[in-house]
Amino acid sequence: MKQNNMLAMILAGGRGTRLHELTKKVAKPAVSYGGKYRIIDFPLSNCANSGIDNVGVLTQYESIQLNSYVAAGGRWGLDAKNSGVYVLAPREKADVDLDVYRGTADAISQNIDFIDSFDPEYVLILSGDHIYKMNYAKMLAAHKEQNADATIAVIEVPMREASRFGIMNTDETGKIVEFEEKPEHPKSNLASMGIYIFTWKPLRKLLTADMKNPDSHHDFGKDIIPVMLSENKTLYAYKFKGYWKDVGTIDSLWEANMDLLDKNNPLDLSDSSWKIYTEDSDSLPHYIGPNAVIKRAFITQGCIIDGTVENSVLFTDTKVGTGAKVIDSVIMPGAVVEDGAVVQRVIVADGVHIGKNARVGSADSEHIELIAKRVKGEE
Amino acid sequence: MSKAFGIVNFAGRNVHIEGMQTYRPVGAFSFLGRYRVIDFPISNMSDSGIDRIQVYIRRKPRSLTEHLGTGRHYNINSKRGKLHLLYSENGMDNDIYNNDVAAFIENMEFIEQAQEPYVVIAPSYMIYTMDYSQLLESHIESGADITLLYHSVDNAKESFLNCNVLNLNKQKGVLSMEPNHGNAKNRNIFMETYVMKKDLFIELVEKAHKLSSMYTLSDIVNDSCSELDIRGVAHRGYFASISDFKSYYDANISLIDIKNLQSLFNEEWPIYTRTNDSCPTQYFESASVKNSVVSNGCLIEGTVENSVVGRGCVIKEGAVVKNSVILPDSVIGKDVYVENQVVDKHARLIHVKEIISSPDRPGYIKRNDTL
Repeated sequence: MKQNNMLAMILAGGRGTRLHELTKKVAKPAVSYGGKYRIIDFPLSNCANSGIDNVGVLTQYESIQLNSYVAAGGRWGLDAKNSGVYVLAPREKADVDLDVYRGTADAISQNIDFIDSFDPEYVLILSGDHIYKMNYAKMLAAHKEQNADATIAVIEVPMREASRFGIMNTDETGKIVEFEEKPEHPKSNLASMGIYIFTWKPLRKLLTADMKNPDSHHDFGKDIIPVMLSENKTLYAYKFKGYWKDVGTIDSLWEANMDLLDKNNPLDLSDSSWKIYTEDSDSLPHYIGPNAVIKRAFITQGCIIDGTVENSVLFTDTKVGTGAKVIDSVIMPGAVVEDGAVVQRVIVADGVHIGKNARVGSADSEHIELIAKRVKGEE
Repeated sequence: MSKAFGIVNFAGRNVHIEGMQTYRPVGAFSFLGRYRVIDFPISNMSDSGIDRIQVYIRRKPRSLTEHLGTGRHYNINSKRGKLHLLYSENGMDNDIYNNDVAAFIENMEFIEQAQEPYVVIAPSYMIYTMDYSQLLESHIESGADITLLYHSVDNAKESFLNCNVLNLNKQKGVLSMEPNHGNAKNRNIFMETYVMKKDLFIELVEKAHKLSSMYTLSDIVNDSCSELDIRGVAHRGYFASISDFKSYYDANISLIDIKNLQSLFNEEWPIYTRTNDSCPTQYFESASVKNSVVSNGCLIEGTVENSVVGRGCVIKEGAVVKNSVILPDSVIGKDVYVENQVVDKHARLIHVKEIISSPDRPGYIKRNDTL
């Protein structure tokens, strides 16, 4: 079914340095979240649920896992006859040497030929490392209604935090009059979510010019949006209300997982009208043993639990041994907490073993500890 | 490529499951919260490298066809392989005529078309894992005409009562096959799994059809014991036959024992099923869960003990679920007490206080029912 004339491009090349060992071998969009997901499942599922048939994913940093992961578009239902997920890594061309993507705008510029092949009227630019549910079709409807050249999704943030974001200053109709990147004295609290809808033809022109500009950072926020404003193009803000999280640090990744434990958490992954799709695991349902105690937890397929799990998120195929305690923690896929071990306020990275009776983390640590290496236990 | 194609046979007249079978064939029964019974034979075949599989459907095809689809989720190659759904349409309404031999005769052109010289036949109502490629190799090596798979049990007096039993000689030659009447403890339960040449299979089916319209595949194989070289191979590991209501309940509950669970499932031998993209299960502050197998997508506020909970179930605060099998998308309301029950899909137990049955005669709550 042909649905609309918008192509989505997901920027997924970022490393996420502040996630330390979690992004040593995978790009940030491929980091695990919420028991069974990867972060990039969110924009991809949003696209699928919004009726977008074709999605390009721009990858760069440690892209092997990410490329093979997103290429299987069937996971998100993006595999109908005229639908697909396309991996777009930097490439060598006849007239240009192989180059990295120099910025967010450059990543798009280097794939103008790809975009043209779909002949889209609109292009949706997304970030691959945000957790949220959003109907882009509604945003497109607003974009069309305002006959805009660009529509930028914004979210209200607390005023005191506004200086950490790209801030949109708008008039009373929502028209953007000014954009300030991380302003010291913010005039508004409307933060850019890094979600843009552009009418393709005018954007194509701007990108072509930007490529040749030696002074440009080739970045949407720093270069393209300011140029559009200076040229008096029509830019509108599109207010988003709901859960939105950029998990840039170990603390915020932990927090985003903990948010899922709230009874009325606004992300509501169990809402069957807007499912988040992911890789299909062949693991069996989780097994809870005779000695288990489970309170406030998010638990998924393949887990085997015979200890205490409190206020924690357990990912696919994790094990919690008899008498072990997992408290206020995030246990990533395949990790094992052996008998009698205690883990508290930590993220245990994929496949890491916490040995018998070992203790990691503490109840009153300032930051969440990332356990990325095997912790030896008592023999 | 495998030297055999696969046939997943439907359950015969010996299989009758009170209640649940009204809605779907045994193969389509929800099993262990997440699976359908038929996932086991198809995954066994797929994992054994059998890429062309015929699934015979006797009646009520809706839930099975929906679940099986193109077979892609069973890891069957979409170009070179095929999951072929074949219906038995003649005499749909008459159990006597609507048997497996009649279905094979009706679809004979598709059996004849198969390129593979051998066939592996497995039932849609038994739960076990087995490497059919090994079984096929040992069959070819042995020179036998037919190899039959069996499982030695020591509880045949009270269990497996509707199954066939193999009588074997010391060399594991099959002397005869007979229904289990429950008069001995130790029996070799026939797992309705056959390996033979395709040509012999066709010959037997045609012979059975000529002899009697009531003849089934197992009848004609039993008749052939003196003429053909038929041998038994013992299966080891977890085995359950879903042939009546109690055995369905028992099979589910038996897998809450981690030893059984790990004997049936291992990473090297995945059991595939259709995903429904449920999110992980959420346990709330008031939850208390012990000794249970729980699928994804549940919201649990109450107590669950010694039970199997299917995908997308809601167990409200104060509810207690004990020794029960809760099928997907059911709701157990606030303060409702449920013990020794099979609760069928989409049932809502909200207005009752308690539903208790005795452990030897578990109760059944109908699909979509509200109590």
